Amino acid sequence: MIFVAIVFLAVAAGCFLYRLLRGPSTPDRVVALDGVLSVVVSGIVVAAAKANSDIILVTVLVVSLVGFVGTVALGRFVERRGG
Amino acid sequence: MAGTLLTMIGGIGVVRFSDFLSRVHAAAKAPTLGLLLVAVGAAIEIGSGKALVTLLLVVVLQLFTSPVATHLLARASYGEVDIELDGGDDLAQHFAAEAEEPAAAEEAKLPEKRVERPRDQGNG
Repeated sequence: MIFVAIVFLAVAAGCFLYRLLRGPSTPDRVVALDGVLSVVVSGIVVAAAKANSDIILVTVLVVSLVGFVGTVALGRFVERRGG
Repeated sequence: MAGTLLTMIGGIGVVRFSDFLSRVHAAAKAPTLGLLLVAVGAAIEIGSGKALVTLLLVVVLQLFTSPVATHLLARASYGEVDIELDGGDDLAQHFAAEAEEPAAAEEAKLPEKRVERPRDQGNG
């Protein structure tokens, strides 16, 4: 069951990475980076469920906050400089 | 863990959609819902109170911050990026109509107040 979840997450990460590499504009890459980070967050939650531990979940909090700050900063960057 | 399926659908949508704004649309909501489902599943699987509190915090945080970030990004990139849209550009028509009407009214006191949003080049 968890193996299937990991496979799904891997496919999603592949799609986001494809868009990150191929994306024609800067905002495309920012959106793809946000998606990759979201996949990472889901992956950590799945790993915590697999390991049956609640210590790893603090990491999820940190990663999602860092992702939010990074996306906002890149959004300001795009707004100032243009795609 | 059906939530990862939603994340995968979001990822496929990001690859498949042709114009930028629908890619933003796909990347914004599907992983959020996917994370919600994954968190519910993990909370049931682990089953301790600490995990429940942490996952609740994560989900609430994601529900608040993800639309904010996506909206900021989409708003910043509208007009900056050369977007090829599938349908017509309703917002550009709206801007054009808005630029015509109040400009005629305010032209006497504030000439050249309204600046067209740059389409192709940045501000510098």
